[in-house]
Amino acid sequence: MISEVIKNVFGKKKTSAVKPQESDFQKLGLQLKRDIDTVFGRSLAVRELDSGSDNAAEIEINNLAAPYYDVERFGVTFVASPRHADVILITGAVTLNMAAAVRKTFDAMPQPGLVVAVGDDACDGGILQGTYAVLGGADRILHVDAKIPGNPPSPEEIMLGLVTLMAQIKKKKSTG
Amino acid sequence: MQTIIEELEGRFKATPLAVSVPGKIPKAVYLKIDEKSVSEIMLLLEGKDVILAGLFAAENFTGEKFALFYIFEKRGDPVLMALVVGIDEAKAASVAAHFPGACYYEREIADGFGIEFTRAFDKRRLFLHEVYPEGFHPLLKSFKNKPMDIDFSKPVKEYAFRECSGEGIYQVPVGPVHAGVIEPGHFRFSVIGETIFNLEIRHFYTHRGLEKLAEGKTPLECCSVAESVSGDESAANATAFAMAVEDICGIKAPLRAWCIRTILLELERVYSHLGDLAGMALDVAFPLGAAAFFNLREETLRQNAALTGSRFSKGIVVPGGLKKDIAQSKLGGLQAYTNDFVARLESAVAVINASGWVIDRFETTGVIDKALVAPLNLSGPAARASGVKVDTRLDHPYGLYEKLRVEEYPRDGGDVLARFSVKADEIKNSIRLIQDVLDQTGGGPVSAECKAVDGHAMSLVEAARGQNLHWVWLKNGRVERYKVRTASFCNWPVIEHAVLGNIVADFPVINKSLNLSYAGNDL
Repeated sequence: MISEVIKNVFGKKKTSAVKPQESDFQKLGLQLKRDIDTVFGRSLAVRELDSGSDNAAEIEINNLAAPYYDVERFGVTFVASPRHADVILITGAVTLNMAAAVRKTFDAMPQPGLVVAVGDDACDGGILQGTYAVLGGADRILHVDAKIPGNPPSPEEIMLGLVTLMAQIKKKKSTG
Repeated sequence: MQTIIEELEGRFKATPLAVSVPGKIPKAVYLKIDEKSVSEIMLLLEGKDVILAGLFAAENFTGEKFALFYIFEKRGDPVLMALVVGIDEAKAASVAAHFPGACYYEREIADGFGIEFTRAFDKRRLFLHEVYPEGFHPLLKSFKNKPMDIDFSKPVKEYAFRECSGEGIYQVPVGPVHAGVIEPGHFRFSVIGETIFNLEIRHFYTHRGLEKLAEGKTPLECCSVAESVSGDESAANATAFAMAVEDICGIKAPLRAWCIRTILLELERVYSHLGDLAGMALDVAFPLGAAAFFNLREETLRQNAALTGSRFSKGIVVPGGLKKDIAQSKLGGLQAYTNDFVARLESAVAVINASGWVIDRFETTGVIDKALVAPLNLSGPAARASGVKVDTRLDHPYGLYEKLRVEEYPRDGGDVLARFSVKADEIKNSIRLIQDVLDQTGGGPVSAECKAVDGHAMSLVEAARGQNLHWVWLKNGRVERYKVRTASFCNWPVIEHAVLGNIVADFPVINKSLNLSYAGNDL
């Protein structure tokens, strides 16, 4: 290890090659950025809320922030508190044990707050429909503005969902 | 284990149940014991250096109303012993005084079946939070699974935490909704200054009633339930479930199916560990160091998608083998991909190892005492980083693992650094295993016909986080009872010990170094 440190301090600095981003995702991201610029004034603050998922959807949302996708460059930031959030990404069917916390999290948001259901379970309860432990999809407890199905949806699909959400809001703004 | 079994048969008239078929994996011997001799037997077993690997209940299994299953494991012995106790009344003696790990299980059974454990240390509810009505026990057969009618406007009474009080001690409640993008759970810290004096965890926020959901489903339908136990353990849990069903039906999945299963299981370990390495770097504010791990993980998830169509390998492992074959060209693609993987990983690990301030944060942080491993039945990297050689792939080899060369990399530190190093080494071993398996993957069918018959079986699998135990009981072609005990369920309580004396700011990195599943714990 000491030799590693010495190499690091005195040796020539090495940088590894990073593969270029896929152009499709880039296009999607730039479109989202344009929409965010007009609708939200350059930044969209996202709060993730797990109401009872199997953790795969969290991993995909985390991946959005990881270097491969790095959605922060398109104006999407993941914030630590619902008080700072424009959008809640809710994952998993709403369990009875989480229901009160889900409600409180939404109530802590500055209004109007948007809610996007991510994954089959959050959309309609998925395979968990009808069990004693869940209420059902997120719309059983919150007003859901957009649904992104998938088990779990891929990072691209979540991005596409956000683009659709922006289009919806733009439409509402222009008509309302 | 064999001598213990003989002793129980001789001294306590324990009678073997007819299901102890030789050649089963894992080799489990079921012994029916009398309710009255439980305490005496537990006292005897306490001195026999055995581990309580599981404890669960089933209804109408034996002649009595309930059957309690105490699963025992002895390190280095492939034979498992399942003690079955039949009870007519919903009352049993707690064994937590002999096996501390039993505490959590007994609370779980009390919630599920309404069985009261006398002399238990802790009788608080576990997976049923206060919102559930008193006297509600979902796993009883008399309860038909249906949505609950609950009035959320009513206030519920608070859960009684074991908080510490005294001069200078204050409480830090964290969760269930966390600052990061992670699953929900509650952590109640009692803190002096910055130092953690006590921690109590409270989980089960993602309790989805999976065990009840499984009941009445056909084995094939039940695969999606097994997969949703924990999203990032999909392949492991689906494989464990499939193994148990195959065992009941007396069939074996074809060789090619096992080759592909093994590849998926190891890929799962790779991406899971990579996420942990990245997370640990991130939690000590070193995103640059994390980036390389994140990139490798994304590529691994894409390999999963290329092979199975799902980034989490969902929907491919079924009882009997696989749902569909994977084209040889795709496996070739994976082989090409793995060529420079280890070198890339090593250069990423070298960056961490060369950063003194990262090591400074990792070293001596969140130490897990080796002495806790056996009483709490810790497994996976958490146990191996505390100097204990425990790996289901070696201890109870299943499928291809009987022939594969699984390496162990135990470290003694028990701290975050030890867990970091163990996980980094295990990724390299997993890649080597994948390459070995790819070399020997031949043609042939990927599924055998699996006709459901009545019976029950237990299976063990080494998921990324440690040993998962599944027990499946089929009746009339449908699941009568499905019990899953994940490594997370056993490993979670140890975090209460690992954080003591550490500062609150180090909690995230300690938590990440263990990376336990909330969903897999809560079911």
